[in-house]
Amino acid sequence: MTLSSNPPVDAGRLQTALVRWFSELTHQGMFATDCSMRIMVWNRWMEVHSGRTASDVVGRPLYDVCTDLKIRGLDQHYEDALTGRISIISFGLHKYLLPFVPTNAELGLTAMPQSGRIGPLMDGEAIIGTVTTIEDISDRLANEAELRKQIDVQRMARVTAEKAMRAKDEFLSTVSHEMRNPLNAVLGWARILIERSDVDPAVLSRAVRAIERNASALARIIDDLLDVARISTGKLRLEMHPVDLSAIALAAVDVIGPSIKAKQLELRTRLDPKTPPVLGDQQRLQQVIWNLLSNAVKFTDPGGVIDLTVTRSGADARIVVRDTGHGISQEFLPYVFERFRQSDASSSRRHGGLGLGLALVKEVVELHGGRVTAKSDGEGSGATFTIDLPTVMSADVRHPQAEVDQPGSDLAHSLAGVRVLVIDDESDSRELLTEFLSKCGAVVSTVTSSDEALSHIRMSPLPRRPHVILSDLGMPTKDGYEFMRELRALRTDDGGAIPAVAVSGYANPDDRQRALAAGYQTHVAKPIDLAELSAALARAADRG
Amino acid sequence: MNLTALQQDALVEVINIGFGRAAASLSKLTGQRVHLEVPQITMCPLDELSEHLRPMVQNEVASIHQIFSGSVAGDALLVLDEHSAAILKELLTNEPAMPLQMDASAREVLTEVGNILLNACLGSFGNLLHVQVSFSVPHLTLETLEGVVSSVTVNREGLRYALIVHAAFRLKNSSLTGYLIIVLSVASIERLIRAIEQWEGGER
Repeated sequence: MTLSSNPPVDAGRLQTALVRWFSELTHQGMFATDCSMRIMVWNRWMEVHSGRTASDVVGRPLYDVCTDLKIRGLDQHYEDALTGRISIISFGLHKYLLPFVPTNAELGLTAMPQSGRIGPLMDGEAIIGTVTTIEDISDRLANEAELRKQIDVQRMARVTAEKAMRAKDEFLSTVSHEMRNPLNAVLGWARILIERSDVDPAVLSRAVRAIERNASALARIIDDLLDVARISTGKLRLEMHPVDLSAIALAAVDVIGPSIKAKQLELRTRLDPKTPPVLGDQQRLQQVIWNLLSNAVKFTDPGGVIDLTVTRSGADARIVVRDTGHGISQEFLPYVFERFRQSDASSSRRHGGLGLGLALVKEVVELHGGRVTAKSDGEGSGATFTIDLPTVMSADVRHPQAEVDQPGSDLAHSLAGVRVLVIDDESDSRELLTEFLSKCGAVVSTVTSSDEALSHIRMSPLPRRPHVILSDLGMPTKDGYEFMRELRALRTDDGGAIPAVAVSGYANPDDRQRALAAGYQTHVAKPIDLAELSAALARAADRG
Repeated sequence: MNLTALQQDALVEVINIGFGRAAASLSKLTGQRVHLEVPQITMCPLDELSEHLRPMVQNEVASIHQIFSGSVAGDALLVLDEHSAAILKELLTNEPAMPLQMDASAREVLTEVGNILLNACLGSFGNLLHVQVSFSVPHLTLETLEGVVSSVTVNREGLRYALIVHAAFRLKNSSLTGYLIIVLSVASIERLIRAIEQWEGGER
């Protein structure tokens, strides 16, 4: 078929063709009335969506065919049209012009969303009727809903990012504040030592100890920061072995002991020796318990009580730290394990710290496949932190190390017949050591203080005198160092040469040095590695 | 040419009657009380329109433009700064605002509101002058104030004046102001002023 140049078109024919196009082909609804509001034109789209054919409605009054118009007051727009005005019927304010069946069910609308125009039909200056156009805007609405969703997502992301930025800023100011305090002490004492040529030995010793203490505090802050960095980059490595939570808890208690005493708090421990071993990183778990305890110490006023419990809970091992302290407000409870969060972030806050301790607890516990929860009945009513860790049995993992750490076949007779005197003020510690050493074949006696130990030794006839002494270093009134000095001052016949092993939670080289200087043969750091302990005792007993 | 204080008062009163009806229909549509009034009207030569509007609206504006014809003819626009436009739409539809460029539904609502206001204002004039005015389909654009002003100044011959009608909306404890701009020929303005004076004389 070829398109030849067409003859000039008659304007009337062109208009007829145009009306036909609007009537049959357009994707819009279109209908027209005369001035008496009788329907004159009803296009194909209207037929499809109203379910009524043109031949059915043309010639009939519009308000009879579309009864809804008058009910909803839309007839006013037709009155306006007959005076020459145009009305916009927006979806936003009207939802629809005529109640048609929705074309997109996903929008959840009861009627097809529409956008309409009602206007006068003009013949020159004269108004000869009205014309209405209707558009189905389902697609447009779906697009807008999608856009709105995207904008919300972006807004949420922005809010989260801003929140994180704010938390980071707060954190940085906390870190600098927390680091400045010990740093000032270190600098202050160092300057005093530099400036004064003749320093009193008492002052010197005070200064050095203050510098040491504050430098250690700085080191701890840096350790915490590094741990957080390691966890967030997935670089925290755990050395997993079957470990005894009670022993770890005791080691943590040992470290926290001085601050509990300093604050006149009471620590009650209940460590169930039947708690099954956990596959975990000994050092990290000790850090976890220490963090919970130190948190409890921080938020409990003098005279308060802290309970530490280690028990079996179903197939899991459970650690509970409960205090009678300030408690946690319901608003803050959900955020208590978040990094850099402290319930009181103001500069005048009463409690120091980075707000990292509990975040670290949660991360480490979760790396162990466990979970930690916090509970509080609100401010002033104390707080309870509960950790559940899968045990070696529940995790169904048997680590080869398990056989070594447990007093197994190798250890069973390692101390056969050796008389061991255990000196420790902590009853849980005593029980634990007795239990273990007995399994190694040792004959165990226990005492709770240095003085008791000295009189026990003096009173024991030679055949029952201990072969070896195992003493805690951190004890009230007379510590392990003083005990040893007094013991070594005794005559050999009175027991002054009995070999001794020191145990302490302060695992720094100084402890070892001080312990050896005091007269101990060797020093074992808490948490105790049982194989190491039995070997140390055996060696010491041999030497004696 | 300037409006006297009396002429201004009379014009404010006439337009307020129309706005009262517009507010009533907006209240009915949105199911909440919409209050609409004219605190002020100013008149200026068209070429000074920019200067007059600049202190009131900045940056991008949403304008709803209609051309009206009949024995009084000219351009009518409702100008809202973008922020007010978004708030107005939000208040009227209870839906959070999206940037207007992306939100055809919001633009349509604003077009309807502009149409209602322009109809109310020009309808009042029509009644006053006893003439019928007919309108083109309203059209919303988002552009700078300069763009809006140039759209009514280019290709127009003869001295023309602009009536600036301040339209203050109050709804849900919020208030915002839009500006109705009606551009008329000197002849139309003179007819309007005469009609106002007659109306004033007849009423009072």
